[in-house]
Amino acid sequence: MNKNDKELKDILINFEDDIKKIYESGKIKAPIHLSGNNEIQLINIFKKIKKNDWVLSSWRNHYHAILKGIPLELIKKEIVNGRSMGLNFKKYRFYSSSIVAGIIPIALGISKALKLKKSKSKVWVFIGDMTFETGIFSECYKYSINHKLPIKFVVEDNNMSTNTPTKKIWIKKSKIPKNVIYYKYKRKYPHHGTGSWVLF
Amino acid sequence: MGSILKMITYRKELIKSMNFLGKKKDTLFIGQSVSYSGNAIYNTLTGVPSKKKIEMPVFEDAQMGMSIGLALNGYVPISCYPRFDFLILAMNQLVNHLDKIRKMSRNEMKPKIIIRTSIGSKSPLNGGPQHTQDYTEIFKKILTEVKVVYLKNPKDIFKSFKEAYNNKNSYSYLFIEDADFYNIK
Repeated sequence: MNKNDKELKDILINFEDDIKKIYESGKIKAPIHLSGNNEIQLINIFKKIKKNDWVLSSWRNHYHAILKGIPLELIKKEIVNGRSMGLNFKKYRFYSSSIVAGIIPIALGISKALKLKKSKSKVWVFIGDMTFETGIFSECYKYSINHKLPIKFVVEDNNMSTNTPTKKIWIKKSKIPKNVIYYKYKRKYPHHGTGSWVLF
Repeated sequence: MGSILKMITYRKELIKSMNFLGKKKDTLFIGQSVSYSGNAIYNTLTGVPSKKKIEMPVFEDAQMGMSIGLALNGYVPISCYPRFDFLILAMNQLVNHLDKIRKMSRNEMKPKIIIRTSIGSKSPLNGGPQHTQDYTEIFKKILTEVKVVYLKNPKDIFKSFKEAYNNKNSYSYLFIEDADFYNIK
């Protein structure tokens, strides 16, 4: 890990530590889904993501938003205002949704528009391992490949959907296609909240 | 005689509206049977340039999501659902995403989509319970930001589509047509 990566890793961890403290003080009146333990993987993936690319994320979106280059204070303000589950910034081409797989068809449309406009930009879609198993992923992935759309899927596998273990419920997991980026990690925080009892 | 005239005018007004939208640089027509025949909506798109049409596989919810994505990048999609019964399959993207996206983005993201659907005809053939439902009132209740317009009078059709396209606030519209008014061959 070089010096820049180390600094970036610290920024990510410190940001979530800060949010954790604010949340535990009872000031955030909405659920938060903290990121953690996947800093290095994301730092490396985001090296390929350009400023004009779109990034689509889910309810666990803080790291993606930071690495997309959205100012920390702007992200923090939104989270403190109760909008952690749907951080959206048009200027930074960043959209997130709290509905499982909801971003995938939207990503398809964005990538279709980019292709029609002969843009060099891409769409990056960050999904969890349970989302990867859905039918809507399967359909949209097939469409994107067959239509050669500028879209890249990233599967972030923590083997958990809320607290349901993906592999146990599906019996086995589907094979990850070669052109899908995949990494595995163990989540640092619970599905939502910080693990501490908070009085609101 | 009066009702036949109404039907003819109804279809003519829809064709006129689509031709108007088809001339706009930023519009795209998306759906199943926009390029291939098979339903009443197709017959209203014959004057739209083929390069503006994106024929879809059967994946209704993905079509609505794609329409959102296209609209976020400057297009005005005319997203076609041949029957109201089929639009039910796109409820996730319509209700959870399109209808909430302004609120979720502090009004930064305002995709403008013109959705077309049609209540299936009951005459001369009745499509039965899965092909003829009218959910207009339910959609008016469930949608908070998307405007719902039931197209009853032919004289309102063109101005309604024109208003939807030109609306400065970039609202999305759901237009509900009645196939019994224009399903003539």
